[in-house]
Amino acid sequence: MTEQHFNRLASAICAVVVITLPFFTSNDFILNLATLVMVWAIFAVGFDLVFGSLGMVSFGHASFLGLGGYALAIVTQRYGLPFSAGLAAAVVLGGLGAWLMSFFALRMSGIFFALVTLALSQLLYILADSKLRGLTGGADGIPGVGRPGFANIDFFGSVNFYVFVAVIFGLVMLGSALLRRSSFGRVITAIQQNEIRCEQLGYDVHRVRQGVFIVSGAIGGLAGGLLGSLLMYVNPQMLHWTTSGDVIIMTLLGGAGTLWGPVVGVLIFEVLKEWMSSKTQYWYGIFGAIFILATIYFPRGVLGEIQHRLCFRPPREREAAMPAAEETRA
Amino acid sequence: MSTLIIGLSLGMLLFLLASGLTLIFGMLGVINFAHGALYMLGAYLAFDIGQRTGSFVLAVLLATVLTAVVGLAMERFALRPIYKRPHFYQLILTFGFILVLTEAIKLIWGLGYKEAPIPELLAGTVDVGGSTIPVYRLFVIAVGLVVGAGLFLLLERSTFGMLVRAASSDDEMVRMLGLPATTIRTAVFALGSGLAGLAGAIAAPLFPIELGMATTIIIDCFIVVILGGLGNIRGAVAASILIGLVRALGYTLAPSWVDVLTFGLLIATLLTRPQGLFSRPVRAA
Repeated sequence: MTEQHFNRLASAICAVVVITLPFFTSNDFILNLATLVMVWAIFAVGFDLVFGSLGMVSFGHASFLGLGGYALAIVTQRYGLPFSAGLAAAVVLGGLGAWLMSFFALRMSGIFFALVTLALSQLLYILADSKLRGLTGGADGIPGVGRPGFANIDFFGSVNFYVFVAVIFGLVMLGSALLRRSSFGRVITAIQQNEIRCEQLGYDVHRVRQGVFIVSGAIGGLAGGLLGSLLMYVNPQMLHWTTSGDVIIMTLLGGAGTLWGPVVGVLIFEVLKEWMSSKTQYWYGIFGAIFILATIYFPRGVLGEIQHRLCFRPPREREAAMPAAEETRA
Repeated sequence: MSTLIIGLSLGMLLFLLASGLTLIFGMLGVINFAHGALYMLGAYLAFDIGQRTGSFVLAVLLATVLTAVVGLAMERFALRPIYKRPHFYQLILTFGFILVLTEAIKLIWGLGYKEAPIPELLAGTVDVGGSTIPVYRLFVIAVGLVVGAGLFLLLERSTFGMLVRAASSDDEMVRMLGLPATTIRTAVFALGSGLAGLAGAIAAPLFPIELGMATTIIIDCFIVVILGGLGNIRGAVAASILIGLVRALGYTLAPSWVDVLTFGLLIATLLTRPQGLFSRPVRAA
C-alpha cells in the first residue's frame, strides 16, 4: 500500500463515519462531542501545516483560535453583522494574526521559534484578559455567541449544526489533501528535509514559511470561530498557552505530518477527556503521563504508526523515516 | 529606593530560575518547559516542610534537594531515552511534565491559596536612605548574589564546571575521552531543577502559593533568557535584573501596563538584536 492509498482509505472510512453518524443517533451529547472533535480537528490540521509539514514547533497557535473566536463573537454581537461575515472575519483575523506574528517569530528557528510564539501569544492572552476588557469582556468572555442562520434552518439544533461543521471540515480536509499533493506541498516537505538545498535551488524559503504560517493561522481562526459558535461562548482560555499545548499533544498523539493523524489525535484526546474527566478531576495529569509515555515509546503517533507499518516506502526513504535532529544550535 | 530593592529581589528570583534554565539549555539544547512547575513544586514543598518542622532553613534546603531529585528522575527516565530524536520531542516532553506536576501538586495540596510565613529573623524592616525596606527582600537579593557567585565558581573554577562546559560545547568529544557525559547531563539537569526549587522556596513567603504561579513567572523567565541570549549565564544575570527593575518600576508607575511593557521590551529586542541583548553574535558552530 502506498501513502496515497492509505490516505484514500482513511478518508473513505472517515467520510462514512461522519455521514452516517446522525442516522444512528440523535443523542445531543454524542453529536455535540462529534462536532467538537471536528472543530478541533480543523484546528489541528491547520496547526500540523506548521508543525508536521514545516517541522516548526509553534507554541502560539492558541492566538489564532482565540482571534477567530473573538472576531466572530464581536462582529456578530457588537456590530450585528450576519454569521457569514463573522466567520469570514474569523478567518481573516486568524491569518492577519499569523502574518503579524511571523514577522517576529520567523526570524528565529528551532527552540527560539517556540519561545517567541509562546511569548507573543501570551501577550495576546494578557491583553484580552485585562487590557482590552471593554472589547473582550475580560476573564468573563463573551456569552451568547451566535450560530449561522440561512434558509430558515435552525442551527441551534445539534444535528443541523453538526452537518454545517461537517461540510466545512470536509472542505478543509480536501484542501489539506490537495495541498499535500500540489507542487507547493512538495516544496514544504523539501524545506523540512533540507532547508539549505531548497534555498540553493532558488526557493524563497522564508516566503514559503510565512505563507504556510498565514494559512495555518487562517485555518486556526476558522476553527476558533466555529468553536465559539458551538460553545456559544468565547473566553480568554482559548488564547492561553495550554491551548497551544493541547493542540500539540493531539497532533503528536495522532501522528504529526500525516493527513489524518491530527484528526485521529483530536478524537483520542476528546474521547479520553470525556471519559477520564467523568472519573477523576485529575484527568489532565493522567493525560500528561500518557502523553509522556507516548512521546517516548510511540513518537509516530497512532495513525503515523499504522501508516508506517502498512505502507510501502522506497528503501531510501526508510532511512529518513525519522526526521534528522535539527543541527542548528545557538 | 524601595522600588529598586523590590526590583532587585524580583530580578534575583528570575536569575535563579533563568540560570537553571540556561544551564540545562546549554547542556541539552532544550528549554525545559516544566521549569516553572519545578519552581512551583519548590514553593509548595517549602511551605509544607516549613509547616511541619517550623524551620525555615530546613524547608529551603529540603525543598531544593527534593526538587533536584524530581528533576533528576525526569532526566533519567524520560529525557535520556530520546536524546537522539529531534529537539522538539524533548521540548514537548517537558510540556507533558507541566501537566503531571501541576496535577500532582493539586492532588497533594489542593486548590486553595497557601501562605508561607516570613521567618521571624527576617521579618522586620530596615531604614535605608529614608525608606523602609523589608529585610526579607534583602535576604532574597543576598541569596541570589551568593548563589550567583557559587555558580560562577562552580562553572568556571572547578573540574566539574570544566566538564560541564566541555560537554556543552562538544558532547561527543567528551564521550570519546572516556568521561561520563551522560552522568554530567543528569547532574546538570538536577542542578538546574534544584535552582528552580530554591527560587520557589525563597519566593514562597513573598507571593501567595497557588497553581497559577508557575505560568506567571516562567513566561518572564523565558523573556529573560531570550533577552540575555540563550545559554549565556552572564546575559541571564543582566536580563533578570533588567526585567525585575522594569516590573518593579512598572508596578509603582503604571500597574496595568507592566506586562505590555515587558513584552514590548521583548519585541523590540527581537527586532533589533535577535541573538539577545547581552550576547555577542553567534559564531558558526
